[in-house]
Amino acid sequence: MLSRPTTEQVLLDCRAELLATIEPAVADGPAKVAVQMLENVLRNCAARAAHEVAWMHEEGAAMIAFVERVVTGPLGTPEVDAALAAYEAGRSDSRHLDDACATYDLAGRAFSVAVEAVMTGEGALADELHRAGRDLLELRLAHEQQIMGEWAFVGRA
Amino acid sequence: MPARLASYLSEVDADGRTATVAAYRPIIGGYSRLMARADVEWSDGSSESIILRGDPPPGKALMETDRDLEWSLLRALRGAVRMPAPRHYDADGSHLGTKCIVLDCVDGPSLQAVLVSLPATDDGAPDYRRHSQDLVDTMAALHAVDTSVVAGVLDQPDDWDEYLGRLIDRFRQADTGHVEAVPFLRYVAAWLDAHRPPPLPLRLVHSDFQTSNIVVDGDGAHHLVDWELTHIGDPREDLGYYNVYSSALGPNLFAADPKGFLARYRRQTGFSEEAVNPETMAYFSSLAAVTVYAQVLGGAAAMARGANSGLMTTYTINALTVGHSNFMSACSAPELVA
Repeated sequence: MLSRPTTEQVLLDCRAELLATIEPAVADGPAKVAVQMLENVLRNCAARAAHEVAWMHEEGAAMIAFVERVVTGPLGTPEVDAALAAYEAGRSDSRHLDDACATYDLAGRAFSVAVEAVMTGEGALADELHRAGRDLLELRLAHEQQIMGEWAFVGRA
Repeated sequence: MPARLASYLSEVDADGRTATVAAYRPIIGGYSRLMARADVEWSDGSSESIILRGDPPPGKALMETDRDLEWSLLRALRGAVRMPAPRHYDADGSHLGTKCIVLDCVDGPSLQAVLVSLPATDDGAPDYRRHSQDLVDTMAALHAVDTSVVAGVLDQPDDWDEYLGRLIDRFRQADTGHVEAVPFLRYVAAWLDAHRPPPLPLRLVHSDFQTSNIVVDGDGAHHLVDWELTHIGDPREDLGYYNVYSSALGPNLFAADPKGFLARYRRQTGFSEEAVNPETMAYFSSLAAVTVYAQVLGGAAAMARGANSGLMTTYTINALTVGHSNFMSACSAPELVA
């Protein structure tokens, strides 16, 4: 396949064309708002195309490492055990997007119940794991914010 | 559309007049429903403007809400809340092509439009004080409405603790029902459960209380619109939601003077400082967002399943990230012990 220009570059080029050629020619209110929304969506897609598989892999590995810490300690629950087992049974090393999404989802579900188990615990270990869980959520949020970029409620007034 | 609307208005007019639609234009900026303004001329020589509020085509709605319920609610609230009066309802879409509510038109800009058009003062920033007070008074007036006026229309929870538990549980339900894991949701649910604030009486909650949903008439009076998410709940939900929303679409009148904003709200409602303070505001800034958040998440899930499409749904997915950021801000980590 032809990998360059990258999908990110192609989408950003489409966005530039939208802004330079189409947006100035649109006068109608709803259509102009739609163009502005499209511009934003193209930027979102460009950022995702450039990074999403790598980010899902990075976050997924970190989430499962967290879950394994919870499972092997006193805060583990049967629900966390089951979610980790579901991850192990369903995970894939495939880089195809649907497969990567499915593996990321399984890791996220295991992480969700592990964080919940930690939140119901007390003591130094629970506090430490709470902070570690937050760090992973902050990592995910940073990636989401990089995809979102500058975003506002277009057309709201 | 103008011809269909004219025919419908003529058919339902109580005085037997015939309508002509002189102008019809979509209203931009509404994210969930199709909105339009029509200028109508009547056969008796009078004229007026009306507002139409209808459902988008199937599979194109950002969020799914119930027009039948909204119509019943608008009728129940008539006289209890200052808002554009509901006029007619095409309940099956047989006249107007979609379920559609016809409302009086209040001439005037939204409060959001008023705020962003204010000139800068000598200090370099606009003076929002009067508008901030008006906003608080509008919210307080809503929260003073006797909930018996919506008896039989809205669910009437009678136990605050149980109600709050159900509201918190919506985060878990949103996670369970979504097409992929969203780990923020169970985290914030667990945190909110562990940090419940003091209770307040359950009141009418608008649930999308923000300045784009307030029309300011020529006398400066506020008219609340967009009641599709309204329910009986904790009044601090509106405080928190306003804070979250206006952080994304400023100016944030609460952030400009948090103490003054909350003090006025307490004076107007009689609620205590124990119940209404910056900490509980932060708590409800996280909790209250779940109503709209869950709707937007549902739209994203429907799109992933192939049951929804459209630019509005795709574009608004970014609002979920805004929500995640707010959740994280509201939920504090345990402090490190040296």
